[in-house]
Amino acid sequence: MNGRKTKRAIRLLLTNLFFILICFACLIPILYALSVSLNTGNSMLSSHFSFIPERFTWDNYRTVLFKKPFFLWLKNSVLLALFTVIVSLAVGVPAAYAFSRYRFKGRNHMLYILLLLNAFPSILSMFALYRLLRPIGLVNSYLGLILIYTGSMTIFSLWNMKGYFDTIPVDIEQAAQIDGANDYQIVTKIVLPLAKPTIIVTAVLVLLSVWNDYIFAINFMSGAEKYTLAVGLYSLQATDYTRNWPLFSAASLLASLPALIIFFLIQKHMRSGLTAGGVKE
Amino acid sequence: MRKKIQPYAYSLPALIVIGLIVLFPILYTGYISLTNMSVYHWFDFHPIGLENYKKALLVFDSGFLPALLRTLLWTAVNMALQLTVPFFIAILLNSEGLRFKDFYKTILMFPWAMPAYVSILLWRMGIYNSEFGLLNQWLKQLGFKPVDWLSGDGTAFAACLIVNLWMAFPFMIMMIDGGLQSIDKSYYESATLDGAGFFMKMLKITVPSLRPIIAPAAIMTTFTTFKQFDIVFLMTQQQGSKTGANIHTVLTYAYEKAFMTNNYGYSSAISILIFAIVIAFSVFTTKDLKEEGTR
Repeated sequence: MNGRKTKRAIRLLLTNLFFILICFACLIPILYALSVSLNTGNSMLSSHFSFIPERFTWDNYRTVLFKKPFFLWLKNSVLLALFTVIVSLAVGVPAAYAFSRYRFKGRNHMLYILLLLNAFPSILSMFALYRLLRPIGLVNSYLGLILIYTGSMTIFSLWNMKGYFDTIPVDIEQAAQIDGANDYQIVTKIVLPLAKPTIIVTAVLVLLSVWNDYIFAINFMSGAEKYTLAVGLYSLQATDYTRNWPLFSAASLLASLPALIIFFLIQKHMRSGLTAGGVKE
Repeated sequence: MRKKIQPYAYSLPALIVIGLIVLFPILYTGYISLTNMSVYHWFDFHPIGLENYKKALLVFDSGFLPALLRTLLWTAVNMALQLTVPFFIAILLNSEGLRFKDFYKTILMFPWAMPAYVSILLWRMGIYNSEFGLLNQWLKQLGFKPVDWLSGDGTAFAACLIVNLWMAFPFMIMMIDGGLQSIDKSYYESATLDGAGFFMKMLKITVPSLRPIIAPAAIMTTFTTFKQFDIVFLMTQQQGSKTGANIHTVLTYAYEKAFMTNNYGYSSAISILIFAIVIAFSVFTTKDLKEEGTR
């Protein structure tokens, strides 16, 4: 009996060791960037490498925040992301509601075609979009980017929210309808509150997709005053990256922070949202 | 009568946006693919029939077919590793008595939570850089010569593979972990009573019960892996700082033909071919998805 107990304890110890190792290995790129960003200038080129900075400094962060247009990039990214989310929800929610609640001609075909269209990688439509948007002045404009981001996420939003709407029982809506509520009242008073989890999740995924895009932004935006965080970071590493590497690591960690926070917040919300959203009869 | 118009009215804005940003570019790309549009023929391009497609499919040296084969290899290796390694990690995460499970799981989610382009650039500069990258610092300390990881085809492919696995494992770990928790514990108890060992239980209970839960995630990941662009592009193909490795996937290949060598007609033909491949694969795999979605 005792032998079995020790055997189990050893196995548990080994499992814990394994996970400590794996977790460390998994964080290496991030920890290394953190260490480089907190180290004074040249020590990263020395042969004595350690994850703990030898000569600690905030200089890289100070330079990024105050000598580079970091806050301008941040403002651009935030505005772009917020407007995209607003437009996405404004077009996505009614459409998802329609596809979930109404049975109309062409519905099934449309749903399927949308799924197929979504298979086309958006990077491949970049050139056509460029040629389409340039004559109407939407290249190098935020409006153009908002349209592109909204468009490339709409099919996902529609399918995602439609799936959730499907799980909300129609009984409540029918009761409200009998009481004389119109569609607008039903949606704002009943459907939206019930569908809050899926709307938040969808909104956050749209937000992150904008926050994390660089390829459309670098191809459609020129002029440093219009840079988003992603383009700013990209330009930092694209020019003279040996010297910029500590700056880049500081900037990239700063730019990741909002995404990390949002991700871990939403992860909790996703779980509680999904279980709470389960239909109670 | 109103009832009939309503759903169309509600979905019209979404459909307009999709038509403009998704559908129209695809049709336009299809049209460009039949012309000789390039930087020299920006306005005065003319139709050339299927020439671009012929070049892509019949001339091996043009580079599309090698890129396609490489992409298929990339997808296959990725999926094989993404379905096995996270499986074992998830099994271990669910070991009885593992007290810090949630902590480990949170740490393991970080690669997923980081913006992908940031992670890729951190890997490129922090780990693989030939002068001060971590790998070469370690090699130097061990007395070896530094290696220029991203300039050789083989090492660059492996480097990209590792980055992709690093970014993709968290999602799979989460899916499989969720799946494991949904399996009824009593199956295992009765199997133990029947004298089944660990591997027997894995094979007869765990794997079959996970399959339906993991299948959609696996299919989805196969698509995203096939369509992976950022890693190969940012690691080896950045404008002005190409590393010399030729490990184009179909997507980076199409991108290069459009935005670097400016052969728009040819690039568009590649895009349409990729679309056809993905559609064929979708139709093949999403039959169930369709039935579920339109129920």
